[in-house]
Amino acid sequence: MTLALFSGSVDKLTAAGVILGGAAAEDMDVEIFVLLQAAFAFKKENAMTNERVAEITDKQDEFLASLKRLNAPHWTEAFRNAKEMTNVKIHICGFAGKVWHGEKLEDFIDLADDICGIGEYMTAAEESDINLFI
Amino acid sequence: MTQEELATLTADKTVDARGTSCPGPLLAAKKAIVEIDKGQIMEVLSADEGTRRDIPKWCTKKGYEYLGTLDESGYFKIFLRK
Repeated sequence: MTLALFSGSVDKLTAAGVILGGAAAEDMDVEIFVLLQAAFAFKKENAMTNERVAEITDKQDEFLASLKRLNAPHWTEAFRNAKEMTNVKIHICGFAGKVWHGEKLEDFIDLADDICGIGEYMTAAEESDINLFI
Repeated sequence: MTQEELATLTADKTVDARGTSCPGPLLAAKKAIVEIDKGQIMEVLSADEGTRRDIPKWCTKKGYEYLGTLDESGYFKIFLRK
């Protein structure tokens, strides 16, 4: 499975984490390409403090409270769990990184495996049975 | 298996995933399945409704035998044989 991850909002990142959990349960290989706004969320200084939501924004507080009530893991934890259980590679788009002043891999949380160009995503997407855009 | 048969079944391993939401129970089952041998029985306790359908489908894909689901008060037990 390939996942073009554009969103930097916790609602969509949480959804991505749920899908990753399903992929991990089935031992799927997953390649994630972190694009534009998602690169913001993957920056070290933003990952745990960013609470932006993309949808139903007037219910942001209720949504975040519900995640806690349901004992849902933070999206970074869901991604980490999936990485521990199956083959998940996370690539930061080089352009996206620069947009958010992230030039080096060390600028991002340790879930990121490398910084790459869009050609790598196209190749992986062509070879994948499932390709998602979030 | 019938509900009566499930009620008398003794699992070799119990996974209590009642405190987690989807996909927590499924992932807990996946982590635990490596701890039992082929032919042994595992029960997954869950209060997450989606898990009722996820575990049987997961069993089919992974080659495990789904034995059935037993309703309890506020949760359910899903039985499978590795």
